[in-house]
Amino acid sequence: MNNALSISRRRFITLTGSALAVAGGGSAFAQGQPRIRIDPTEFQPVPIAITNFLPGTPSDGDVGNGVTQVITNNLKRSGLFAPIDQAAFIERISNMDVAPQFQNWKTINAQAVVTGRMTRQQDGRLKAEFRLWDVVTGQQLAGQQYFTSPEYWRRIAHIISDQIYERMTGEKGYFDSRVVFVDETGPKERRVKRLAMMDQDGANVRYLTRGSDLVLTPRFSPNSQEITYMEFGQGDPKVYLFNIETGQREIVGNFPGMTFAPRFSPDGQRVIMSLQQGGNSNLFVMDLRSRSTTRLTDTPAIDTSPSYSPDGTRICFESDRGGRSQIYVMAAGGGQAQRISFSKDDTNATYSTPVWSPRGDYIAFTRQGGGQFSIGVMKPDGSGERLLTSGYHNEGPTFSPNGRVLMFFRDPGGNGGPSLYSVDISGRNELKVPTPGFASDPAWSPLLSSTPG
Amino acid sequence: MKVNVDKTLVASIALHVLVLGWGLVTFSSKAYVAEESLPIDIISTDQLAQMMSGQKTGKKEEPKPKVEKIAEAKAEEDAVGKVTEKKELIKTNSTPEPPPKPVEKPVEKKPEPPKPVAEAKPKEEPKPQEKKPDLAKEDPIAELQKKLETKKPPPKPVEQKVAAVQPQQQPKPKERSFDPAQIQRDLDKRAATRHELAGSTLNASASLGSTTGTAVANVATWRGAFQSAVKRCFTPTYNGQDAEQYEADIDIPMKIDGSLASEPIIVGVRGPSRSIAQAIAESAKRAIVQCQVYSFMPKQQYESWKLIPMTFGLKDML
Repeated sequence: MNNALSISRRRFITLTGSALAVAGGGSAFAQGQPRIRIDPTEFQPVPIAITNFLPGTPSDGDVGNGVTQVITNNLKRSGLFAPIDQAAFIERISNMDVAPQFQNWKTINAQAVVTGRMTRQQDGRLKAEFRLWDVVTGQQLAGQQYFTSPEYWRRIAHIISDQIYERMTGEKGYFDSRVVFVDETGPKERRVKRLAMMDQDGANVRYLTRGSDLVLTPRFSPNSQEITYMEFGQGDPKVYLFNIETGQREIVGNFPGMTFAPRFSPDGQRVIMSLQQGGNSNLFVMDLRSRSTTRLTDTPAIDTSPSYSPDGTRICFESDRGGRSQIYVMAAGGGQAQRISFSKDDTNATYSTPVWSPRGDYIAFTRQGGGQFSIGVMKPDGSGERLLTSGYHNEGPTFSPNGRVLMFFRDPGGNGGPSLYSVDISGRNELKVPTPGFASDPAWSPLLSSTPG
Repeated sequence: MKVNVDKTLVASIALHVLVLGWGLVTFSSKAYVAEESLPIDIISTDQLAQMMSGQKTGKKEEPKPKVEKIAEAKAEEDAVGKVTEKKELIKTNSTPEPPPKPVEKPVEKKPEPPKPVAEAKPKEEPKPQEKKPDLAKEDPIAELQKKLETKKPPPKPVEQKVAAVQPQQQPKPKERSFDPAQIQRDLDKRAATRHELAGSTLNASASLGSTTGTAVANVATWRGAFQSAVKRCFTPTYNGQDAEQYEADIDIPMKIDGSLASEPIIVGVRGPSRSIAQAIAESAKRAIVQCQVYSFMPKQQYESWKLIPMTFGLKDML
């Protein structure tokens, strides 16, 4: 019984003790500090120091400076970085294999430092090296070396820019990409329109057609090797395929009427376009391998400007089936379409030229309402509409490969001509894209370094 | 045996119950104390105006006499009233405006010398009031004659003034004997009406605040300061529409001098893209390191900020 007594008391004490411990623990937990939360309200570009790329040999000085300039320009134009003027640098980098004196870079408020070297190899190739340093933690964030032909030094600079961008933001870059557009020259009544292609920063402009025939709506294939566009030839305007490398071109399909507004599917195996039939136009898709065509819409309305979602399962397009031009979304194989554009402040506003973002999160569009043309974005379900820029005539948005930037063309009216502009999807950092003459209908290529072939 | 066992057990249980009961009661009462509500008085604008002009409820133990009651306050009120009365007189003189003015001046200046005696003033003041309306009421035909008479006196007052000045100079040597109590009385009389509204005497017992305030113990103070200091350096590079979904939890080990004891620790990151979330966390880390030293942190509360847990988000970016 004594045993029974002692056990019962022990158990009682144990139970009581554990109960108190639980209570104590609870109170201690309750006293835990809440996390201090920081949500910045203002966006500020990251200050970054880009030092001159050192020449591996005395003759590599120019290319080193050129690469530095291209990287600086790319990062600055992105709006996410604020390259620091080299005149403010305290330290001069003489050896890129030695870590910089970070205190010198902290003094000028740099958060990161880029160092690099360009060396011409004995085999004639160019060797490009770079390092990205975190000034605050003193760690190397990235370091790469590339070999290329000397004439591709600009492309190397774009690839390095993408590396820096990706390491600092966590997102893929978009600098190693091209833009195809319609180059316009001559007086307004006799405007010559040529298909042209350039780097995304406006350099390396190449003309793909001679300008004898009017060209419109060029679009890149996913491998960036082909372009599909509409051309007014001798007969009806037709959709063409143009191979950039070979210069060959061919008509897409053999349709009886006018075909226009073509665009590649994400896998590059199909081209979706509009076919005019009488006063209406419907969407068709053609398989480039089998050359078979499929009708996607059959309505007494104008259905045009189709664009695939990045996963290829859905299509957004514009249609006036409701009376005015609006944006609709439907399955890639056709079927019932759902209208997604609804203007909140102007019931007469129209929406056109929808383009699905490569990231799938937005659909960009041209909105006409209140006497203005605006470029905007909305979610694929039609929510979260946001106008990024408005003016007399803005049209034809196209997404950068990473979906962060839109390029479009703006026509001020009068005797002038259109120009290309870019704007961040948040509406900030609107910039004019340099082109040799007037330019319209831009289409951004995928990232060249990530595309096969 | 059974009885003994039960007794100790019962005693033990009773003791524990007592202790627990006592604990429950005391803890619960503390909890109520912690939840003490703050009384809020709703006051009208008039009350506020009154409060702003001075303290309404001062200590009444030692009510300081605002004025030493040597003379009656009425005397000074009348002195103030003189001015208004004069104005009235000017108004009444619709036709004979110029004549009464010269009359007034000598009348006023004459009583001035005897100012020290406040009581004398009121006696003199009513007189001109009575006289002037009387003059106005008198035969209007005789006004011209009186005007002529009154026009003449202006040079006279000059003589009178001179005469008046002389008697003033004479008593001055007497003042040199100086009676401070008399001056104090005069001063108090002048200040009497002023003190009633917002004089220093009314606020004499007002509190200027405790020398040992509670601001030092205010945790919100250093938390807010630290938050704004780090925010200044935080420059995330992402501003997509899903930005609000990104968060990074970072713990910051601190030294007592406000510098970092070690590198900030990324506890966790959240968001649709792992790489973007990681970049945001690294951006936050850079901000924390870059903005040190946080020398403003209160050293006496070091235990409360030895390890600062923070969450960096992008909710307000767009």
